[in-house]
Amino acid sequence: MTESAPPNGLEAALIAHRETLLRFLRARGAGEAAEDVLHELWLKIRSARTGPIAAPLSYLYRAADTLMIDRFRAERQAVKRDRDWSEQMAGAAPGVSEAPSGERIMMGRDHARLVAQRIDSCGARAASAFRRHRIDGVAQREVARELGVSLSTVESDLRLVYRALAELREEILAV
Amino acid sequence: MTQDEVIRAAAADWAVRIGSAGFDDWEGFTAWLEESPDHALAYDRVAAGVADAVDILPPVAAADEPAEAQPRGRPRRWMLGALAAAVAAGGVGMWQWADPGGYTVMTKPGETRTIALADGGSVVLAGDSRIELYRDAPRRAAVEQGSAYFTIRHDADDPFRVRVGENRLVDIGTRFEVQREGDAMQVAVAEGAVAFNPRGQNVRLNPGDMLSSEGGQRFSVTRVPVAEIGEWRDGRLSFQDRPLPEIAARLSAMTGVAFRVAPGAAQRRLSGSVEIDSVRDDPAVLGDLFGIAVARSGDDWVIG
Repeated sequence: MTESAPPNGLEAALIAHRETLLRFLRARGAGEAAEDVLHELWLKIRSARTGPIAAPLSYLYRAADTLMIDRFRAERQAVKRDRDWSEQMAGAAPGVSEAPSGERIMMGRDHARLVAQRIDSCGARAASAFRRHRIDGVAQREVARELGVSLSTVESDLRLVYRALAELREEILAV
Repeated sequence: MTQDEVIRAAAADWAVRIGSAGFDDWEGFTAWLEESPDHALAYDRVAAGVADAVDILPPVAAADEPAEAQPRGRPRRWMLGALAAAVAAGGVGMWQWADPGGYTVMTKPGETRTIALADGGSVVLAGDSRIELYRDAPRRAAVEQGSAYFTIRHDADDPFRVRVGENRLVDIGTRFEVQREGDAMQVAVAEGAVAFNPRGQNVRLNPGDMLSSEGGQRFSVTRVPVAEIGEWRDGRLSFQDRPLPEIAARLSAMTGVAFRVAPGAAQRRLSGSVEIDSVRDDPAVLGDLFGIAVARSGDDWVIG
């Protein structure tokens, strides 16, 4: 099915804006891997049938940004796993669980609870704004309407939660 | 503010702006990133922190769940919820606890179960499937494995939401089927409409639309006959140009008979329609129906 997907306008846009996207990827931290990431992006859009896209370049920027976020997450997790593993081995004692400690923290409900607590610590309105926007997929403007506040208030609530979550992630990775 | 704090604040600001629907200042973002490598790192930290949170949070709206909603003192009530679901389902299958507020309902290969939802809707689980439901959030579900057919009472103010791995479905209508196998998922709409990843691709699926995703951002939409969506509930399975391994997996799940694909046949794609009971009674009928070789090997059946 995916094989039979016809070429789409995104491919043309990617070719046309190749240099622009490479520059973005380099600035985004891809460095020498920028070409590789662009190729990955190319493969993704080639097999996706997305329907008409109003702003192809913007779509490609966003997809490239998401790829970089995925790479960052995968990299950091791998570094941490290696580190936990070597620490575990260095201090390995009989009868002690061999599961890396960080992994256990990163998994399951402990992490979910930490995340929920951190979001809630930003205040009830900010927590609602974050959940509606990021979990439920409601647009920021619509969230503002629901909560009866201005768009800029929602934006500042989201900034607050985003920073709190970035800090939580660093704390968890530092364990 | 220290220099570091200035950067963190700016990174969060960009993440919020990029998350807004009409954002298009990618040149401005590039220019900011080019000012210092620290900027990309700060932005990645924010984006990864948010993505981690979105991945791990159960699909429960804050309005439904007060801050202290992960208590230790309520197991009895969850148990009642899960028991009610198990009883409503006519109960032979297994169920177990997932995390606070959530419980898992599973089926064995060859088993089909109907789960009554608290709000009047229902979910039919195909064989070898697993779904998570939330006692405190009757309008949420997560498909962990296999196939589930949802019949939902639509409420525009409180849409039903289904999580499938990284993907999210929001009902705009009433009947749809979700299939999941690891990272791969399919959603097919029989009636009404479903929004796929409203905060991402935001694709609207109408009756007869089937979206397939192998994971990541890649997906495709094809058309399927509405009558074939969820038809396993009536004892039938149809395939249109599907890979043999997928056919074998679905047949195994629905019949409880273990099918394997013959070496070298994994690339084959087939079309056809089978009665589940007939296949269970005599797996050899697949030979004529699909025009393939069928051979018994111990407890398994090898097809291809």
